[in-house]
Amino acid sequence: MQHRFFWIAVGVLALAYPILTMPFPVYQRLGALVLLAAIGASAWNVVGGYAGQVSVGHAIFFGIGAYSAVLGYHYLGLPPILGVPLGMIVCIAIAAVIGVPTLKLSGHYFSMATIAVAELVRVLVPTFDSLGGAQGLSGPTLPRTVLDLSFTSAMPYYYLFLTVLVAILFVTWRIENSRMGFYLRAIKDSERAARSLGVEAGRYKLYAYMLSAAMTAMAGGLYLTMIGFVDPESGFGILISVKMLIMAALGGAGVLFGPLVGALILVPLEEISNSLLGGKGAGITYVVYGAIIIIIARFLPNGLLALLKPTQVKPADAPNGSPVGAGEKHAA
Amino acid sequence: MFRNIGKLAVTGLVLATVAAPSASAQDKVKIGAIYPLSGNAASAGNSSKAAIELAVEIVNGNFPDLKDLPLATTEGLPNLKGAKIEVIFADNQGTPAAGQNQTLRLITEEKVHALLGAYQSGITVTASAMAERHGIPFLTPESVASDLTERGFKWFFRSTPVAADFARSYSELLREQKAAGRKIETIALVNENTEYGNSVSKVIKDVFIKDGIPITTQISYSANTTDVQPQVLQLKEKNPDVVLFISYTSDAILYAKTMKDLDWKPAIMIADNAGFNDPSFVRTSGALVEGLINRSAFAAGKPGSISAVINEMFKKKTGNDLDDPSARAMQGLLILADAINRAGSTEPAKIQEAMKATDLKAEQLVTGYKGVKFDEKGQNVLASSLITQMTGGKYVPVWPKESATAEIVLPYKGW
Amino acid sequence: MSNTLLQVIVSGLLLGAVYALFSSGLTLIWGMMNVVNFAHGEFVMLAMYVAFMVYTSLGLGPAASVPIAAMALAAVGMASYFLLVRHIMKGPMLAQILGTFGLSLFLRYSAFWWFGSDFRTLPDTLVGSPFQFAGLRLDAPRLLAGVVALFVTLGLHLILTRTSLGSRMLAVSEDATAAQLMGIRPERMQAAAWGLAAGATGIAGALIATFFYTSPTVGETLAIVAFVTVSLGGFGSVPGALVAGLLIGLVESVSAYKLGPVYKDVVVYSLFVLVLWCRPQGLMGKM
Repeated sequence: MQHRFFWIAVGVLALAYPILTMPFPVYQRLGALVLLAAIGASAWNVVGGYAGQVSVGHAIFFGIGAYSAVLGYHYLGLPPILGVPLGMIVCIAIAAVIGVPTLKLSGHYFSMATIAVAELVRVLVPTFDSLGGAQGLSGPTLPRTVLDLSFTSAMPYYYLFLTVLVAILFVTWRIENSRMGFYLRAIKDSERAARSLGVEAGRYKLYAYMLSAAMTAMAGGLYLTMIGFVDPESGFGILISVKMLIMAALGGAGVLFGPLVGALILVPLEEISNSLLGGKGAGITYVVYGAIIIIIARFLPNGLLALLKPTQVKPADAPNGSPVGAGEKHAA
Repeated sequence: MFRNIGKLAVTGLVLATVAAPSASAQDKVKIGAIYPLSGNAASAGNSSKAAIELAVEIVNGNFPDLKDLPLATTEGLPNLKGAKIEVIFADNQGTPAAGQNQTLRLITEEKVHALLGAYQSGITVTASAMAERHGIPFLTPESVASDLTERGFKWFFRSTPVAADFARSYSELLREQKAAGRKIETIALVNENTEYGNSVSKVIKDVFIKDGIPITTQISYSANTTDVQPQVLQLKEKNPDVVLFISYTSDAILYAKTMKDLDWKPAIMIADNAGFNDPSFVRTSGALVEGLINRSAFAAGKPGSISAVINEMFKKKTGNDLDDPSARAMQGLLILADAINRAGSTEPAKIQEAMKATDLKAEQLVTGYKGVKFDEKGQNVLASSLITQMTGGKYVPVWPKESATAEIVLPYKGW
Repeated sequence: MSNTLLQVIVSGLLLGAVYALFSSGLTLIWGMMNVVNFAHGEFVMLAMYVAFMVYTSLGLGPAASVPIAAMALAAVGMASYFLLVRHIMKGPMLAQILGTFGLSLFLRYSAFWWFGSDFRTLPDTLVGSPFQFAGLRLDAPRLLAGVVALFVTLGLHLILTRTSLGSRMLAVSEDATAAQLMGIRPERMQAAAWGLAAGATGIAGALIATFFYTSPTVGETLAIVAFVTVSLGGFGSVPGALVAGLLIGLVESVSAYKLGPVYKDVVVYSLFVLVLWCRPQGLMGKM
């Protein structure tokens, strides 16, 4: 009973938030930014959380999503949002090309390879003038039609992002409860064991990676419709990959609502601390931001949502158990 | 647990609501300034911040030494009953998204009347778009990307010269030297590969070709590199007569050091502002680049002149000489203050009108512009640059003749 | 071979030795504990500031700043271990990334807050002037750093393979429970490994400060090179980091000279990805 009441309250609050914050455009926009970050982190969660393949190179897909949206506008005058499906298709193809050899790597080697591929793209993009070079490309700053999605208020973005987030979470939830979800968890716990049970680990990891890539492209495309500008650093920078990861990790990776919870904490933390402290110019914003991340990692290494699962087996207190994957056993 | 999270969220929301300031009294004129106060460009951003603060002191106080500077000898803005200016700084964190978020905050929460910023061109793009949608005047005193003024914006102004202006200065200077008999046949251009280096190098290349002194070697490199030895060795091998650098501070320091380490220097070395003008560069590497030619919109003139007095004030405040980007930021604030005073109101539309009518003469400025007058796109048509030269650890103006305090000394000496 | 190309190769190898120097600490921690230290670049940055302070307050060069930075960073490393790393090691790999990323932001901006955003350099005569040798131009500070890199690599390698401390550390890294049964205290050994690794990083930072600029964000510039070096060499392999460092320095230098500096990162990253695809454990790592 209490659970149902809680979810209804969350739903109502989520729908009413932009109306409640109407007098405070900054907080209205903050809501949209949280949802956007949650979309990116939830997309990452499919491969990074559920399948346990810690990609630190998802900025590639984010950047391609953002660039596809703006290139359609730049060359064909299309509303940026129409470029999003194209970006998703391109990302699925690219994920397949990168994924086949790279997913064979395990653990940190996979992470490092994804960083390297993303950095490779980041340094290559500025050399192409057709992609706007280093200067980047702008979307329509002054809206031509409503399809350009260029609004002063953040409310339309908020509801757009909310819809997309719900869709992504729904897909993720369906996967979580499907055979594929079961396989992914098995792969995460022990790829060797999963293989010996006949799970085609390579294939399912690749599926997860491609799906995750397509969703991340969506996040990139939506980012562009809202911000209206992308350059190599804001599209492909390493910080974009890292932020998706830390949001998911902070809330709980491999947990449906983990990335959303992470975004709900980190985005307001970053924005509000920047608003309150950033103007002093001493970098205090990031001292606070860093300290809070440290504290959460120190006391809740499995993410905040681990708090809600008191029944979960606590990882052995041995100083050095098997660190990777420990404490992440799911009741499959 | 769920309930606790819920409580927390509600408390947070309430706190946030309370923290949002109510519309404040109109006795102050508020200007928002968006600068990179953290991240890689923080050194430049914080220097600009100090310069803008100094400009505010000048407008709000009484400084008889600076009587030619508008508003210097009156406390506050006389046409607004002596209202004082207050600048609210925001950190753009080096990202276009943060620049835009902070612009929105300055407009809707701090209720600023005009905006200044945002250093990096890419961030000026997004921040000014937000200002445009809200109808608040936005002045960029330093972003040079040429398309900024091509967007059809009504609330956007730019006081700085653009790349084409200083490309012409370099070209004129080199052609003068060539006419005087100096050998200028091979010219190398070394540029970092982000938006700044990329766009400026393109313009310089075009202008030089048109003027018949084409660039013979171009080396572009990724900014914040760990090593510049291969670039310097390439230069050493090609041995051009002139080298023109477009670099940020970190790389500028490495170039200065590495050229000495590898023992190579050209006959004429030009740096396009940016890194080579950063006070950190001048302090750490000034002694390695004696005779370096640079561009600047600011140079401390003869003792007693506006620029000299202001330079002294800035030095007292920060310990550094006033550098060019900071001087341009400072000038930006003074332009806004002048316009708001003439508007006699803090209404955005009136400020916009007054900005369009801005007509400042060269002697009323801190920077060495020929004046300030905006065209219909918002570009200052009288913006111009001085050419300076590193002389004894300091940049002094050497060109054009009418603003020079010293003769140009060639060849380049280095260390 | 043209003289310039030879100079490019020598410069590249010296640069590579420096890469190896500041990567050795990272590979040690990574290999011994399976922990990625995203704050590694910031450790280097702190050591550079130590060298800077030793110069400004005592007027001394690397002879003093190297041991002081090594000790200071060993302390920082052990403190990080006891306060943070010990706890996040119990969590998944993601917790380590999260925790050390938080640490990197915290350290970077604490330095920013304390020292300001300015760039600083040590006087370039502190170690010695550049000199001419066999037609090559050599820079004394870089040469010193390169030589020390070889000694640090050798030293770490000997500690790990020839001393009882080393074998106890390795025992813990292979099987903590078994090691504990044999009377080794795993936490002590891991703290020692962090101290050792951070100390080596301290030496690296103090030496790099003699020819590079120091700023709060310099760690960002250096960290990514260290990550690539370590994984190319193979996690945990100190000799691997040396080989990888030299290789990367050489490839960077030659490709920057031949293809243009913009493409040097492209070449290095492509090479790195190709090596991993063909040899997933890095050049000298164990599977």
